[in-house]
Amino acid sequence: MASFELIATIFENLGRRKARVALTAMGVVIGTAAVVVLVSLGIGLQRSATAELGSIGSLTQIQVYPGYGESGPGMVMRAAPGGGGGGGATDQKLLTSEALQELSALPGVVAVIPQEYSQAGGMISFEGLEGYSSIIGIGTNDLGDMGLTAETGTLELRHSTAVIGHRVPENFFDPRQRFEQERPEPPDLMGKQLVLTLEKWEGDGSQSGPTRKVIQLRVIGIIAEARAEADYSIYVPLDDITAINEWVLGRRISRAKEGYSSVLVQVEDVSQALEVADLITELGYQAYTPQSFIQSANRIFLILQAVFGGIGAISLLVAAIGIANTMTMAILERTREIGLLKAIGATNQDVLSIFLGEAAGIGFIGGIGGVLIGWIGGQVINVLAMAFLVGQATEGGPPPSIAIHTPLWLSLFALVFATLIGLLSGLYPALRAATLVPVTALKYE
Amino acid sequence: MSQPFARMTGLFKTYDMGAAKIRALNGVDLDIEAGSLSVIMGPSGSGKSTLLHLLGGLDRPSNGQIEVGAQALDKMDENALALYRRKTVGFIFQSFNLLPSMTAVDNVALPMRFARIPRRQRYEQALKLLERVGLADRAYHRPTQLSGGQQQRVAVARSLANDPKLILADEPTGNLDLSSGASIMRLLADLHRSGRTVVVVTHDARMTHFATQTVHLIDGQVVTEKEYEAALEMLIAEEEEL
Repeated sequence: MASFELIATIFENLGRRKARVALTAMGVVIGTAAVVVLVSLGIGLQRSATAELGSIGSLTQIQVYPGYGESGPGMVMRAAPGGGGGGGATDQKLLTSEALQELSALPGVVAVIPQEYSQAGGMISFEGLEGYSSIIGIGTNDLGDMGLTAETGTLELRHSTAVIGHRVPENFFDPRQRFEQERPEPPDLMGKQLVLTLEKWEGDGSQSGPTRKVIQLRVIGIIAEARAEADYSIYVPLDDITAINEWVLGRRISRAKEGYSSVLVQVEDVSQALEVADLITELGYQAYTPQSFIQSANRIFLILQAVFGGIGAISLLVAAIGIANTMTMAILERTREIGLLKAIGATNQDVLSIFLGEAAGIGFIGGIGGVLIGWIGGQVINVLAMAFLVGQATEGGPPPSIAIHTPLWLSLFALVFATLIGLLSGLYPALRAATLVPVTALKYE
Repeated sequence: MSQPFARMTGLFKTYDMGAAKIRALNGVDLDIEAGSLSVIMGPSGSGKSTLLHLLGGLDRPSNGQIEVGAQALDKMDENALALYRRKTVGFIFQSFNLLPSMTAVDNVALPMRFARIPRRQRYEQALKLLERVGLADRAYHRPTQLSGGQQQRVAVARSLANDPKLILADEPTGNLDLSSGASIMRLLADLHRSGRTVVVVTHDARMTHFATQTVHLIDGQVVTEKEYEAALEMLIAEEEEL
């Protein structure tokens, strides 16, 4: 039979037994809907998670830390080489000036920017407000090299100036404010003088209090929102941080020997980031890219989706047994019909196609129902979840993201899968029908 | 003598019924002439239906040859047999075997669907055939809305769908009242007159009036009319003794 005729015959035959087809297809509907909803949930979770991960930093950045070789990262970072028993000292790969040159020489690297955190405890004050933000010394004169852009002012750092992140002003509060009082508006810090009060405890800490040092920083620029660490950081020139850390340690720091605590490697193109990170790891340093986070997160989500899909697949398996049962019963009931079809000239293949087609048709009908119900169910869950999340969302935080996402490929896949399940479960009954001896089938009561 | 339309030589058919072997045909030699109307008579269990099924390619002989035209049915594979049934043979059954979910015209058009004839042409032809058996006004009725005689006439129309040379009827009047049976017999005689070869298995002696050849079967063997009557008398006598 021509394929159009075959399809017409199949749906005519299915139409003759509407109630039973509907009941059998119901199993497929439930299974397919379960697969669609659960996998959509997995995909939705992945999307919202990677959206958050994506904002950890620019995808062209690699964060590099010193390598500790076999001795592990338990060592004190700032220990001078040779002094202070590091057993595996020879394995260490410190981020020395020499190392920076080694990193810049790697293919695709456009900038190598040393980063140093302030080691002093400290408080930042501005017109009676107090703030706590991490202070980062940055080894470049232009934060634009890090892929950041200015919201106001400039990103070019000079001595005793600071460039602050988008959300830093929000971290200032009034220490005299009582709990029930409303928080004041974040101060406009642009062009203002911040007072940095640093503290250190000398020696064994037996003194009555810490030693203090006060530094003035003028805010010369605010970074546009980057949805990254930069939003909450105060950037100062590297030399200023070195001065602070030397004051804390009470000695000079030799970058040629001790190196930097971390280095930001900027690559030209997103596609190079993972490759360059691998090269850096091979050199003996520790390299992290947001992409490697995303990659391992993706792996977890893939497993999650497989588990979710597997749960749905179990219900589809149950549905498949239902189809096989219905088709086997149908063949018993229609044995005489099969005999007649053969008597009037249907080949084994004709009979096989009709019965396989009917089984696949049940799968297909159930698949359509399942995809529709799964999709609608996902939307309903989204609406409910949104209503819940909006109620739960923290003030000023990012808006809640959609929980369930059903891509088109999933719907198509589910439909094809359901049809295939039908086809497979019809295989045995259809083969039996096709190979019946015509005269035996005709005599069947 | 010219080659007959169908020739059966040394035909055996045994069925395994568990431990017991049943010999349905026990060495049948039979020729069917082209354009003949053969009536096969015999008591139940004599193998007459089995003979018809083998001739129609619905089953295979255990031993022996069947040739129809130049085709050796015993040597054909499943597909070739299906094509033989589709093109050469039209079946009429005692219990009509119409598909109850389909209308009369659907039933008549069904064999042409497997012959890959386009839908329009199928239905035109089916309506013509229904007209020929006098059921043009019942074309869109379902079998349950038709009388037994009408259903069998639909079945006769269906047997003609692919214009076969050979019509095989298995007890076509067995489920019908006398007058409906008579009209079916007249239809079969018409088919014979139009040049088809018709083979009818029946208990109904009226059919022999139309026959060009009457074949008697006893215990899976072809016998003469005298032997047949003697055997029947013996059967009746045996029954009276019991």
